[in-house]
Amino acid sequence: MEDRQIRERPARAEAAGRGVAVRLAGITKRFGDFVAVDDLNLDIYEGEFFSLLGPSGCGKTTTLRMIAGFEEPSQGEISVAGEQVQGVPPYRRPVNTVFQSYAIFPHLNVFDNVAFGLRRAKTPKDEVASRVADACEMVQLAGFEKRKPGMLSGGQQQRVALARALVNRPKVLLLDEPLGALDLKLRKEMQLELKSLQEEVGITFVYVTHDQEEALTMSDRIAVMNEGKVQQLAGPTTLYETPANRFVAGFIGQTNVFSGTVEAADGERTTLRTREGLRVEAVARDQASPKEGEEVHAAVRPEKVRFGGSGDNVSAAEVKQVVYLGASTQYIVELEGGGKLVLYQQNAFDATGPLEGDGVSVSWDAQNCLVLGG
Amino acid sequence: MAKGWSLGLAALLAPVTLWLGLFFLVPLLFIVAYSFGTSGAYGGITLGFNPGNYLLVFDPLYLEIIVRSFGIAALTTLLCFLLGYPLAYFIVFKGRRWRNALILLVMVPFWTSLLIRAYAWVVILGGNGIANKSLQFLGITDGPVDLIFTPEAVLLGMTYSYLPFMVLPLYAALEKFDVRLKEAGKDLGASRWQTFLRVTFPLSLPGVIAGSILVFIPSSGEFVIPDLLGGSRTVMTGNLIQNQFLQSRDWAFGSALSVILGVLLLVAIMFYIRRVGTDKLEGA
Repeated sequence: MEDRQIRERPARAEAAGRGVAVRLAGITKRFGDFVAVDDLNLDIYEGEFFSLLGPSGCGKTTTLRMIAGFEEPSQGEISVAGEQVQGVPPYRRPVNTVFQSYAIFPHLNVFDNVAFGLRRAKTPKDEVASRVADACEMVQLAGFEKRKPGMLSGGQQQRVALARALVNRPKVLLLDEPLGALDLKLRKEMQLELKSLQEEVGITFVYVTHDQEEALTMSDRIAVMNEGKVQQLAGPTTLYETPANRFVAGFIGQTNVFSGTVEAADGERTTLRTREGLRVEAVARDQASPKEGEEVHAAVRPEKVRFGGSGDNVSAAEVKQVVYLGASTQYIVELEGGGKLVLYQQNAFDATGPLEGDGVSVSWDAQNCLVLGG
Repeated sequence: MAKGWSLGLAALLAPVTLWLGLFFLVPLLFIVAYSFGTSGAYGGITLGFNPGNYLLVFDPLYLEIIVRSFGIAALTTLLCFLLGYPLAYFIVFKGRRWRNALILLVMVPFWTSLLIRAYAWVVILGGNGIANKSLQFLGITDGPVDLIFTPEAVLLGMTYSYLPFMVLPLYAALEKFDVRLKEAGKDLGASRWQTFLRVTFPLSLPGVIAGSILVFIPSSGEFVIPDLLGGSRTVMTGNLIQNQFLQSRDWAFGSALSVILGVLLLVAIMFYIRRVGTDKLEGA
């Protein structure tokens, strides 16, 4: 079986010659005894759509607020566009923020909200007018300039927040879960819109989210964070196909995890036996091969398991639950060797799969079953 | 359904309507009626249509008192604002866990009658009061100086008395303020001061308006404080009205003065709300 290559969409950052837009060097942030961010080292490149992804309390928002200047790191150095910014107040940093619930000025109309930053920078009047008009046009708010924020929908307020930040042409745009308050359909639309907007203006976006799908949709690179540390830093495809550890595998997408003892290890090929007695063939990537007798975890994505067929792992199973999801169907099966397994099947041409209670055979390849580090 | 609801509403509103009708509206109509009457030589009043009471107000002596009253009330309002805004701002944004305790302290003076607190200032500012004694002890003055019975003493007493009326609405307005708007201001290049001027202050304007009205109205009609701290030299409209009713027994003129004070206040406040209440402060 050929070894599938993981191919990332060529990142714009690489094409742009990789100037560093934001550098975090040894950043630690403590609130009393609580360590919110723990020795973080990160380079974010110019023109990149970079996401900080993680569950709440993982330090992603704190990191963003340190770049914006609302928090000062307890240790370490931050530079934006090559300049150190510790001790520089937010209003002197070449960054702008799109806040979580927009923080639009309720007493100002759309025009004055968007013009706020330009006026503080003493921009000439006609330039303010033309740049505000361009910014409103860009986020499809032309014609709404005289409206007060109270008369706008959530999606429109979100566009005002975006225009208000982008109109200043910041070196880096910081976005703190900007789509969190929108409903699902609008959120999906805005994701694609944000991505194409970012490509259009070419400004570095640093995007904070807890929504893995959102991060996968938009980002050039994603830093998955947990407990103040970066768990893995990679492009969306790499992150999904080769998660570095159990946390990343569980956080990004759905996965089946086998925990067991290594029976045999030959190069990257690893055989483990689970507590239930199931033998699983897996591969260990990018890390030292586990030794015999070691306790490890291996994971296979639900869509990489199929009914029938042959492969490195074949097992008889009984279908326990069938969940029809439209484009695909999710099956939960109980393996003969013990343990449950989730698998997805595309409903591309027909929607006839096994039913609950059916006895089936499932199989998956060792190369899709990864031994997880950490 | 709708009928039952309106019946319930009527039942709820009846007591207050009755109360205000009997004890506010009816006396007010009496005052208006009296203001066109003629006072007898030994008190008493004959109703009729006598505009002379209103013409008397234009006597320079009385006009001066009315103008001075509004001047002192306006200065009191300004002083209360200048002292009260920083105080309310501090309590809301820097008070942290002391916030409730601090705002309670602002209300503590209400626990004592205004009259008693005014007398306290008489004791403090009097010829042998601690203010004069301290000045002499420090060698700043040789003998007692006139601290009491001056316009400044009235202003001091009124600002002291009405400060809570300014602080409380300001506190209420600032407390509702979303601190992330301050961050948004700074993020968009506004310094702390600019953020205050462009964001925090405009959004606290409802509190400023409420506070200044709450201070200005009672200040304009105040009579206890000018009586005790102003003496005969700083007579205000309130004292004038009080005199007509209690000493001169000229109820007709006293009523006319009351009506004029009321109308002037109403006009002044409407003008003020028009002026400040609009969105004039927006834009650059």
